[in-house]
Amino acid sequence: MNQQPVQPNQAQPVPPPPPAYAQPPPIAQQPYPVISAMNLCKWYGNVIGLNNLNVQIGEGITGIVGPNGAGKSTLFKLIIGSIKSNAGGLFVMGQPPWGNTKQLAHIGFCPDYDFLPLNMTGREYLKFLGGLHAMDKVHLKDRIAEVTDIVKMEKDMDREMAGYSKGMRQRLKIAGALIHSPKLLLLDEPLAGTDPLVRRDIINLVKKLHLEHGHNIIVSSHVLHEIERMTHNIVLIYKGRAVAQGDISEIRGLIDHHPHNIVIEGSNITELAKVLMDQDFTVSVGYKDDRNGIIAKVTKPDDFFDRMPELVESTGCEIDSMYSMDDDLGSIFKYLVGW
Amino acid sequence: MKYSVKKVLFNKQWIITLLIMIFIGSIMGYAATQIDSVDRLDAGTELMDMLILSFIMPVIAMIYGASLLRNEIEDKSITQVITAPLDRAISYLAYYLSLAVSLSIILSAICLVGWLAFFGQQGMGGDAAGILGAMIVLCIIGSLAYSAMFILTSVLFKRPIYFGLFFAFIWEGFIGSAGGAIGKYTIKHFVRSIGSTMIDYGSLSSYTEATAGTYATLLMVIVICLGLGAMIFREKEFP
Repeated sequence: MNQQPVQPNQAQPVPPPPPAYAQPPPIAQQPYPVISAMNLCKWYGNVIGLNNLNVQIGEGITGIVGPNGAGKSTLFKLIIGSIKSNAGGLFVMGQPPWGNTKQLAHIGFCPDYDFLPLNMTGREYLKFLGGLHAMDKVHLKDRIAEVTDIVKMEKDMDREMAGYSKGMRQRLKIAGALIHSPKLLLLDEPLAGTDPLVRRDIINLVKKLHLEHGHNIIVSSHVLHEIERMTHNIVLIYKGRAVAQGDISEIRGLIDHHPHNIVIEGSNITELAKVLMDQDFTVSVGYKDDRNGIIAKVTKPDDFFDRMPELVESTGCEIDSMYSMDDDLGSIFKYLVGW
Repeated sequence: MKYSVKKVLFNKQWIITLLIMIFIGSIMGYAATQIDSVDRLDAGTELMDMLILSFIMPVIAMIYGASLLRNEIEDKSITQVITAPLDRAISYLAYYLSLAVSLSIILSAICLVGWLAFFGQQGMGGDAAGILGAMIVLCIIGSLAYSAMFILTSVLFKRPIYFGLFFAFIWEGFIGSAGGAIGKYTIKHFVRSIGSTMIDYGSLSSYTEATAGTYATLLMVIVICLGLGAMIFREKEFP
């Protein structure tokens, strides 16, 4: 992930396009970002999939976060070259993906939809995939043993997939994406529809795939806290645009630029509310629904917390509790996309 | 390719194949009881020509061919193929070969059932075995041609079955049976022409014999269909 300053709700500076190759160098020697998208646009008839997306993704685990329909899956499909962009540039490990089927040898894709042939066993499926990647039989046999061990599916590999649970199918899809030892692994909503235990396993698996096996991973989700458990490098996508990208702590800093809801409960709160209204960081002050406290909407939470002792003292109110309604990653996303 | 052949042969459509086998076996078996044994070679050839070459072959090719690729696109199982580092034109040819091999197996099996039902009662000696061999060869040639045509429709159209129905029943069935020059623009015509050089019984014996031009034209149709289909498949988006 690039460490340039995060700029919410505006496009990142357009990076220079990588030079075209006459002969693509081996992936390991490429000095380019794993993904580089510049003003990338994709639309399906009247529906916009991606709208001037600018993003650079480096090595490691990167989370693509956005609500349903934000353009996450469209980005993945563009990366694997199954669809063609309408405008802009996209480079995957320095090369354009459309029509570049050779590059798929370095990319493993685990889509968000079910497509597994349920009448096959897990082992037959992985053999079939290995065949598509022209892997020799001996190497394939070893690799199947290796990936099934990684995804912890050894015991179920000779069962028909029709009898697999959602979590097992998800793990097998990941095994399928790993079978050819790709440099880049794309996981589209791998946690969707899974129970908490499976989520935990998959989150641990994603981290392990990078830390122990060296895969660069791009993982998408519409749930921020799930992504945070896998990586601190995130790209926030909304309505086809990258609204922010960078380290999660940098994203957190964006809160300061947006209204922040703080709940204050205690006695003689009305006086405090009046004083708060006069502060330059206050956007609005209102009562809670149960009228047991107030909700102050402030733009600079640090200034607010600095001034609070003085304000409390001057108004003589007693504070029982004070907390931010927005102290979670979900709220950051809501701020950034204007929800 | 092995996977696709298995998928074609062992999917739910095998019930249709089974019903067709029963249909062909019943008709030819019954016909065998009604025909004088003197005319058995002519009658048996005539029945196989009419039922299998002219009717069943395009219909079966439509049922399997028009849906093979389209079904994979619809259920997204094509993801496995389009995310593999294979030239899409090669993948397309593999689909074509899978279909052609599968159709050849199915049609040969239907030929065998019909032949056994008829000649099993009328006597399998003489030229009867030669008729079976020729019919199987014609089924293989027809499979190669129809597969190229129908797999093209499955990348050209979102609902290839409608074009398939038109092609199998109206073009090949109705137009192909019509007199005059227009009937010669059907795959059925080319297959029967080739058949007339191999079989000396029934109406095939008097059909227009194939020339080098016949083979060349049929080959050209196959190559054009495959080339066009591969080109479309290569440029196709899979959202």
